[in-house]
Amino acid sequence: MIAFQGVHKVYPLGETKVEALRGVSVEIPRGGMTAITGPSGSGKSTLLHLAGCLDAPTRGRVTCNGVDLGSLSSRGRADFRAQTVGFVFQKFNLVPNLTALRNVELPLLLRNEPTASARKKALSALAVVELTERGRHRPTKLSGGEQQRVAIARALVHDPEVILADEPTGNLDTETGRRILDLLRRLVAMNKTVVVVTHNAEIAADADTRIALRDGKVESLYQGNGGKR
Amino acid sequence: MTLHLVKLALGSIRSRRTRSWLTVIGVLIGVAAVVSLLSIGTGVERAVLQQFKDIGYDIIVITSGGAPTVAGGTSRSGMALGPGGVGTSGTTAPAGQTFDPTQIGQPGATSGATAASTAGTVSTEKLVRAVPGLVEAGNLGTRVVSVDGPAASGFLRLTTPSQSFLRAFPSILGGFKVESGALFTDTTKNEVIVGARSAATLGIKVGDVIPIDGERFTVVGILASSRAGVGAQPASPGAQTGASGVVAGAARAGGASFLTRGLTNTDDSLFVLAERASAVWGVRNTDTTTIVRMAKGADVGQVLSQITTELSAQGVRGTPTSVQQIAASIQGTLGMIATVLASIAAVAVVVGGVGMMNTMYTSVVERTREIGILKAIGARDGQVMALFLVDSGLMGLIGGVLGLAAGGLLSLFGTRLLGPALGVGSFVPVFGAPLILGVVAASFVIGALSGAWPAWRASRLNPVEALAAE
Repeated sequence: MIAFQGVHKVYPLGETKVEALRGVSVEIPRGGMTAITGPSGSGKSTLLHLAGCLDAPTRGRVTCNGVDLGSLSSRGRADFRAQTVGFVFQKFNLVPNLTALRNVELPLLLRNEPTASARKKALSALAVVELTERGRHRPTKLSGGEQQRVAIARALVHDPEVILADEPTGNLDTETGRRILDLLRRLVAMNKTVVVVTHNAEIAADADTRIALRDGKVESLYQGNGGKR
Repeated sequence: MTLHLVKLALGSIRSRRTRSWLTVIGVLIGVAAVVSLLSIGTGVERAVLQQFKDIGYDIIVITSGGAPTVAGGTSRSGMALGPGGVGTSGTTAPAGQTFDPTQIGQPGATSGATAASTAGTVSTEKLVRAVPGLVEAGNLGTRVVSVDGPAASGFLRLTTPSQSFLRAFPSILGGFKVESGALFTDTTKNEVIVGARSAATLGIKVGDVIPIDGERFTVVGILASSRAGVGAQPASPGAQTGASGVVAGAARAGGASFLTRGLTNTDDSLFVLAERASAVWGVRNTDTTTIVRMAKGADVGQVLSQITTELSAQGVRGTPTSVQQIAASIQGTLGMIATVLASIAAVAVVVGGVGMMNTMYTSVVERTREIGILKAIGARDGQVMALFLVDSGLMGLIGGVLGLAAGGLLSLFGTRLLGPALGVGSFVPVFGAPLILGVVAASFVIGALSGAWPAWRASRLNPVEALAAE
């Protein structure tokens, strides 16, 4: 579904340049859960950002459903993020001065969805993550696990094809992390393509596809047949 | 989305409350300064113009003995009567030192007095006949008389209008409205009508008999206090400073009272019919002013030049001045002063705008991560920019509305202090719809403009870098 063809990504870092990806060619299949693993600095997050059109490759092509993401305008990229993908971050990244419910509504409101239907969809997304009753609270009044669940609700509220999660359990304790993982599995069951960047062996083991990166290159690729191994 | 943008922006304004308020206050101060100066300026202009309107735009005043500007320099202050009343000259500002137009036309303060006596008096019949654009004309004499009242005695101005003058030009004498008693009934009796403040100072009432220059006169009426209160306050013009002083000077120098040589101030004068005065004392006015009414549609410039020609033909020295022309030039001057003052005040608005820019720039830096979030969930560059523009625009708007209120209060207080000092009596600041709407719209635009650059920067942030920000 999302294909990388000879992708390089170079970041300027002061005087020097950091080569985060050095010729990655790999495809993330539709459906199921894909785990991107690897040590720090191996380019996991960069790959995720490219998949979500948050960033553009220095060289190479990233396509989603056959559309070259590099050919999109700034507005086209924003619309791609607004329609096709939903992001979940390690640091939750909720807007601090909005309530949980308003955070979840936000992607819809950015797409000019009428208030009433945005509210309805946001409430049902909160129901998926079992936080309906916490909708009126601001992020600071929520626990880490709750914040991450709000973030997941926000990522799925606009019914995207792909959920991109960057270390979603990285800031959570094991038990809470497990609940988040359960949630991600439920998203797979809802026919979402879930891509998770993770250090968590449990998540990686649970994935249908595993892409292991090292030094900006694909070290190993495991593609199962769906379901647990 | 617009409404949501507003809500989002309000949320962010609230989340940094102290800084938002400080920013708003910066705008508020500038707007309040502009609003108060403009509304006071317009109020002063309106009040001054009202004086002219009360006299009548069709009136031409012929001051005898040359231009009225020669007055003031040669005052015999020992004899000058303070506007406050009889025998109080010692407590008023020395007229010889400070140019005070309100004193013009008051006996003793006018060098024109001697000039007038040698210049002769305008023959109004001849004048009306000679100048086609004139409807009617009349002479108004003043002189200084000694008066004895129960409470005080001293010298006062005596104004001697004829019966026909009172019928034709009541506006010159501030409407000549009697508050108690009655108007003159008979030219054969010694009747006097007394200005409001003179009556109070002298301690007289209707029916009293008082000696005026040795003749016994019966008080038949006491006039209502003149509305404008021109020269009413014994305030020294030197006491005014700064901007108010400038406006005060302009209002005084150009005021209608100046044109009519203080005649519209009826508070500090006695009135005896001209017919009676010349019967009792003979013709010995110290000063005579000729008042002329133009026909509708007459050309002012032409009429003025024809009057000048006729005056020289009569061998009289005099200067005709049209109320209409003076009003127009005063209006221009006052408008210019108001504009200059408001422009200076506008600097404060600009400073407020720079403060806003600073706040918004800081806000963009602080909210970098939030911008990253918004972009990650699909916000377009334009939407991010709009969010920040609405944010700063709202702060500008709040500052503008509060500044409008503060400026309004300021000018209401200001007019209480300025009114008497300006010599235009009580006047109200004018808040027109254009001022209010203009200020509100301008403050939103200033806010948005100040936020434009920070907002543009925000919209250009790379989402990945923005998300990495702490």
